[in-house]
Amino acid sequence: MAFDITVITGNWALFAQGAAVTLLVAATSVVVAFALAVPLALMALSRRQLLRWSAAVYLECFRNLPFIVILYIFFYGLPMLQLQLPEIATGIIALSCFASAYLSEIVRGAILSVPAGQMEAARAIGMSYIRGMWEIVAPQTLKFLIPPCTNTSISMLKETSVLSAITVGEITYQGLIVQGRTFAPFEVFLTTACLYWLMTSAFAALMGRAERSNNTTRSAPQTRRSLADQFLKIEA
Amino acid sequence: MDLDGTVFLDALPRLAVAAGSNLKIAMIAILFALIGGTALTLLRTVRWKPLSRVIGIVIGFIRGTPILIQIFLFYYGLPVLHIDLAPITAGICAIAFNSTIFITEIMRAGLAGMDPGPIEAAIALGLRKRVIWTHVVLPQLYIRVLPPLVNEMTVIVKATTLLSVITVVEVLRTAQQIGNTAFRPLEPILAAAAVLFIVNFTISRGGRLIENRFANRRG
Repeated sequence: MAFDITVITGNWALFAQGAAVTLLVAATSVVVAFALAVPLALMALSRRQLLRWSAAVYLECFRNLPFIVILYIFFYGLPMLQLQLPEIATGIIALSCFASAYLSEIVRGAILSVPAGQMEAARAIGMSYIRGMWEIVAPQTLKFLIPPCTNTSISMLKETSVLSAITVGEITYQGLIVQGRTFAPFEVFLTTACLYWLMTSAFAALMGRAERSNNTTRSAPQTRRSLADQFLKIEA
Repeated sequence: MDLDGTVFLDALPRLAVAAGSNLKIAMIAILFALIGGTALTLLRTVRWKPLSRVIGIVIGFIRGTPILIQIFLFYYGLPVLHIDLAPITAGICAIAFNSTIFITEIMRAGLAGMDPGPIEAAIALGLRKRVIWTHVVLPQLYIRVLPPLVNEMTVIVKATTLLSVITVVEVLRTAQQIGNTAFRPLEPILAAAAVLFIVNFTISRGGRLIENRFANRRG
C-alpha cells in the first residue's frame, strides 16, 4: 500500500473549488441561521403562549431529526411548493433552518444569563423592550455567545459535507467525483478529511483569539494542586 | 401539488421496522463507544507525553472532520489496508470510533468538575489506584455524564441515517426505495422523519426522566 500523491496533485483544482463552495455555504448558512435564531430565542422567551409554543415545536422538530433527512425534505418539498431553487440554495436554506434550532438555544441561554435587573432598569428609565434588548442586553450576551457559537459553526461546517447527497459541489462531492475517476478512495477521503480539518482548526484558532481578546475577566488559574488531580485532570 | 396521504401511511409500517435497524446499529455503536471512551479516558490520565500527543491529534482529527467522511474512510478506505468490511460493519465502526472520541471529551469535562474530596479520602485510606477508579471515580462520573451521554445517543441515532449513503438498508434508504417505486419521493421521507422524530424524542425525554431520578445522587 502506497499513498499515491498524483491523486491529489492531478485533481487539486476540483478540491480547491470544493473547498471554496464549502466555505461559501458554511459562511452563508451561519449568517442566515443566526438571523433566524435571534427571533426564535425571543419567541421562546416570550410571555405569549402561542409564540412560545410555536418556537418549541420548531425546535423539537429540527433538533430531533438528522440533517440529511431535513435536507431531503427541503430538496423534495420546495419544488412541491413551486419553488425551483438551485441545489446550493436548497442546501443553505436547509442547513440554516437546522442550525437555527441549535443556535437559538444558545442565544436564549445567553439572554437568560444576563441578570434580569438589567432589562428591568432599562425599562424603568423608559426604554422600549426592543431598545433595551438591543442596547443593554445584547452587548452583554456577547461573551456567553462566542464560545458556543464557535462550536455550532464548526458543526455546521462539517455538516455541509451532507450536501453532497443533493449534488452540491462542495468538498465531499468533489471527493466522490475524484474517487470515481481515480479509484483511490483512501487518498481522496484522507485529503478531503484533512481539508475539513484545516478549515475547522483554522476557524477554531481564530475564534479562540477573538474570545481571549474579548474576555478580560478570565478566572485565575487554580494554583492548589489536589491529590485527586491524578484522577481528575486531563490535559486537553 | 399536494401530498399523497396514502403513500405516507403505507410507508409507515415498513419504515418503523427499518428504524429498528437504526436503533440496533446505534445501540451496538454506543456500547462500543462507552467501553472505548472509558478506556481512552483512563489512558489519557497516564501522563506520558508521546502518548497524550498522539491521542490529542486523533481527537482533533475526529472532532475536526465530518462523520460522513469518517464513514467513507472506514468503508472505502480500509480495503486499502486489506481490511474489507461489510457496509454495516464499517458503518458501526465509524460511528463507534467517532462517538468514542466525543464520549472521552464528555468524560474529561465530567472529571474536571468533580469534587476531589471523596477521591482524596480514598487516597488517604490507602486504596489502590484501580479500586479508586472502579469504586470511587467511575460510578460518580457515569452519573454526572448521564445527560450528555443521552444527548450523544440521539446524535448517534441521527448519524445512523448517514449510513444510507454506503448502502446500509436503514430507515432513510428504505424511504428512498419506497419513493423510487411509488414515484413520490417526499412522502416516504416525511414518514421516515416522523418515525425518527418519535425515536429521538423518546430517547431525549426518557433521558430527562432518568436524569431527574439520579439528580439527588449527583456527585
